Amino acid sequence: MSRARMRTAVLAGLAMATALGTAACGGSADGSGTDGDGGVATTITIAQVQDQTGAVAYAGVGAKEGAELAVEEINEQGFLGDGVTIDMEVFDTAGEIERASSEMNKAMGNKDVMAILGPTQSQQAATVAPLVGRQKVPTVFTQAGAEGIVVNDYTFRATPPMESYYEPVLDWLEAEGATSVSVLYNATFPTFALLGKDSVPEWAEERGMEVVQSLPVEMTTQDFAGQAQQIASKGADALVMLLIAPQSVTALGQLQDAGYDGQIVATSVQAAGNISEAGDDANDLVYPVPFSVAFTDESSVAFTKAFEAKFDKSPNPYNADGYDAMWWIARAIKASGDSSREGIQEGLQKVAAEGYEGAMGAVTFDGNDARVPGQLVRWMDGKETLVN
Amino acid sequence: MQDLLNAATLGSIYLLFTLGMALVWGTIGILNFAHGATFMFSAFIGHVVTKHTELPFLAVIAIAVAVGAVMSTLTQLLAFQPILKRSKNQHAAEMRILIGGIGVAAIPLAIAQRYTRSSPFGFRSSYDAEVYQFLGLRITTTALIIIVTGLAIGIALTVWLRNSRQGLALRAIGVDAETSAGMGVNRPALALGTMAVAGGLAGLAGALLTFHLGAIAPETGDTLLIKAFAIVVLGGLGSMLGTVLGAYILAAAETFVIFMNWGTWVNAVSFGLIFLILLVRPQGLLGRKEVRRT
Amino acid sequence: MSDWYSMNVVLIQTTLTTLLLALSIQVPLRYGVFSFAGVGAFGIGGYTGAMAMVHGEWSTWPAVLLGTLVAGVCTFLLGLVVQRLTGLYMGMATIAFTLIISVLAVNGGDWTGGAMGLYGAIGEITTMHIVLAVLIVVAFLAWTEYGRRGRKVDTVREDPELANALGIDVNGYRRLSFLISGLIGGLAGAITTLLRSTITPSEVNFHLVILALTAIVVGGARSWVGALIGAVIFVWLPTFLSFVQEWEKVAYGFIVAVAAIYLPNGVLGVVKDLWHKSRTRDERARVAVGLQEKS
Repeated sequence: MSRARMRTAVLAGLAMATALGTAACGGSADGSGTDGDGGVATTITIAQVQDQTGAVAYAGVGAKEGAELAVEEINEQGFLGDGVTIDMEVFDTAGEIERASSEMNKAMGNKDVMAILGPTQSQQAATVAPLVGRQKVPTVFTQAGAEGIVVNDYTFRATPPMESYYEPVLDWLEAEGATSVSVLYNATFPTFALLGKDSVPEWAEERGMEVVQSLPVEMTTQDFAGQAQQIASKGADALVMLLIAPQSVTALGQLQDAGYDGQIVATSVQAAGNISEAGDDANDLVYPVPFSVAFTDESSVAFTKAFEAKFDKSPNPYNADGYDAMWWIARAIKASGDSSREGIQEGLQKVAAEGYEGAMGAVTFDGNDARVPGQLVRWMDGKETLVN
Repeated sequence: MQDLLNAATLGSIYLLFTLGMALVWGTIGILNFAHGATFMFSAFIGHVVTKHTELPFLAVIAIAVAVGAVMSTLTQLLAFQPILKRSKNQHAAEMRILIGGIGVAAIPLAIAQRYTRSSPFGFRSSYDAEVYQFLGLRITTTALIIIVTGLAIGIALTVWLRNSRQGLALRAIGVDAETSAGMGVNRPALALGTMAVAGGLAGLAGALLTFHLGAIAPETGDTLLIKAFAIVVLGGLGSMLGTVLGAYILAAAETFVIFMNWGTWVNAVSFGLIFLILLVRPQGLLGRKEVRRT
Repeated sequence: MSDWYSMNVVLIQTTLTTLLLALSIQVPLRYGVFSFAGVGAFGIGGYTGAMAMVHGEWSTWPAVLLGTLVAGVCTFLLGLVVQRLTGLYMGMATIAFTLIISVLAVNGGDWTGGAMGLYGAIGEITTMHIVLAVLIVVAFLAWTEYGRRGRKVDTVREDPELANALGIDVNGYRRLSFLISGLIGGLAGAITTLLRSTITPSEVNFHLVILALTAIVVGGARSWVGALIGAVIFVWLPTFLSFVQEWEKVAYGFIVAVAAIYLPNGVLGVVKDLWHKSRTRDERARVAVGLQEKS
């Protein structure tokens, strides 16, 4: 072998090695997630670790659809640069705490996963929150409204907790001239326990309204005849009803039967058509939502249109959750110009500091925790309309 | 007064649900943990059918009863009978029947959860409950129907078990399966019939409760199952009258707790009560002395 | 190997804690006591451990120890009260006990964190620690299963009157089963809680009873090995069923039902049968050969 030919061979080899090296860098070299050397990979894997089956699957399945729409938009727009795509991998937590922590662990153990959409159930989220802090994987929770979830620099929440946008309900009741309220709440459901026991009575008193009765029930309560009668006999101007979906359908019917005719206000749990089984009994129900198809903000309308085009049905708040969460991550990657785990974590904080316009309208942040003004909607004959 | 009426309605709901379970458990000795799933799935099929066509009250009930009876018969044929066949005696089979029932129950639950995405479901029916008022009391037609049906079936079953030939045969099985088989009782056939009746009752309860509550969720059956378990034990296994009593006692206790507005203590008070009654009467209110030694 | 371990560490830990929970139900069953108090003990142990860490700022192991002991004492006292009950009446009373624990946790105010439960009880527990705890428990239980002690326990279960006649203190054994069940259940609860850092009232429920019971019956009810088999099956089953996706729960129900029908003594029973057959086949073969040689 001549000297010259040998040199070419070496050069070719070197070139090839370099090419391979670059390709590897582009592909998943950032995967270690700790080097933080900057740069956006061509394929960025985001894991969705939420309930796809089980008792509250609607939240996880809804978020999945919203996130899918966001991924499609991000990839088609070339939002993160030419040829850069986001890839979403779905893990099912099946409504169980153990499953949530083991699926989260799998997602975090996969070096290609750069960020996670975390569990929607508070109890699952609270269990995995310390883990993501320890393993330094940026995780954006949706729903999961309880305390103890946004606890470190790697935990973020895209859905505002209910108590952060519930107060306007009391303003509205006051404006409607209500002077007395009854409270009926599920005291074993964390969010409702907090609202029903402390927040709502406090807000009512601040506005000079009298809380004439406060009726806690349990998760297993199915018949509300007794409570309905008690509420009807007190006859307060308004009833704040904080119940899970099946309970609220029953309670509305039985309140009607008991002859209660005051204004009933509920929660976003009654949105997403969860109340439609109550038929006419649910008419005139008012509740605050972080998102509704009735919203008129430009970004909300755009989301609704895009969603209807893709899925051929109206979006619900859970769809909006997933959509906003995924876009938040995309904006974060763009803001920090770095698709590693560290980069996304920094980016999420940067985006949070400025807020964004999303499906839920203008979203601002309290630390890593989203806040929206929320709006009141009225349910009438199967449709939500804005309350002014 | 109104609270007594509420307690009567609630008690009748529990009773309707529990009767079927108490019947099979007290006679052929099968503690059917799929009873709650049968109950829920009958109502669920009613929901699916009425989604396509609006049906009158009785048609929905008929569908639910039929679905319940079929499901329960299948459970007996495909799960419980094979288990009994493969066991040395009833005692050895007990635990496996329990687990078999749990396994069977998981299947309809998963299907309904998947179909409804776990949101509540009801019926689209031409039936519309009315509210009656008398002496300042309010009651809906559905509640009235539930009270009447619950009591009527409860009493009818009690009388039938006491006085009919089949009832005698069933009670004989409940006391001593082997001897009664020797006396010419056709156990498998009777067991199948009993399971079918129990399933029909579960379906009836499912439909009536869904009408009464407006909607139920796929998980509703599980909640009722544990209460029914408590009611049977409270009343005394094998006594239908005990079951009737147990249902109303549990409902009265729960209504009392609601009346006092101790809403979050409902389970504690009702289960505490059961606990205490068991301490005073270890075989339940009207139960016969336990024949088994364990 | 280490990659596989780090991906599945939670499943491994869950298998071990589920084993402890299953054992806490299995122990009374082996003594012929139909008690589900172990699940209540799980709740007591978990809450006590979490309260000690969150309110008392205790460190991990004293908190676990306290949870275990408090659960053991409470369950033992329950045993004194309900020891007259038999069969499923005992089952109902102990389920009532478990559900009441859950209600107490909901209504416990700041102490138990109410409906939200307690969070932030981050214990320093590694897989090695859990393995050690499980080994101690299993070694103790294995010791009670073999030889004279094992036969005594079997007699107490199968024929309490005979046991009485033989001078075995049946009631003493039954009370003891409550104590052991409470201690193991409490240990399971404390470890699980401090591992996850949270506990909520909704966890201490009927479903936990069902999980433990299913694991024991499918695995094998008479020995700790059966509980281990059951825990492994039910913790890992979802991983293997993930290919059926949304039908996972249907497949799960089907598998449980089939196991109940076709495996009268659980998976352990099948394994024992096979082992027995293969051993006796050799024996039979030897005997046959011997006979031939003679003739």
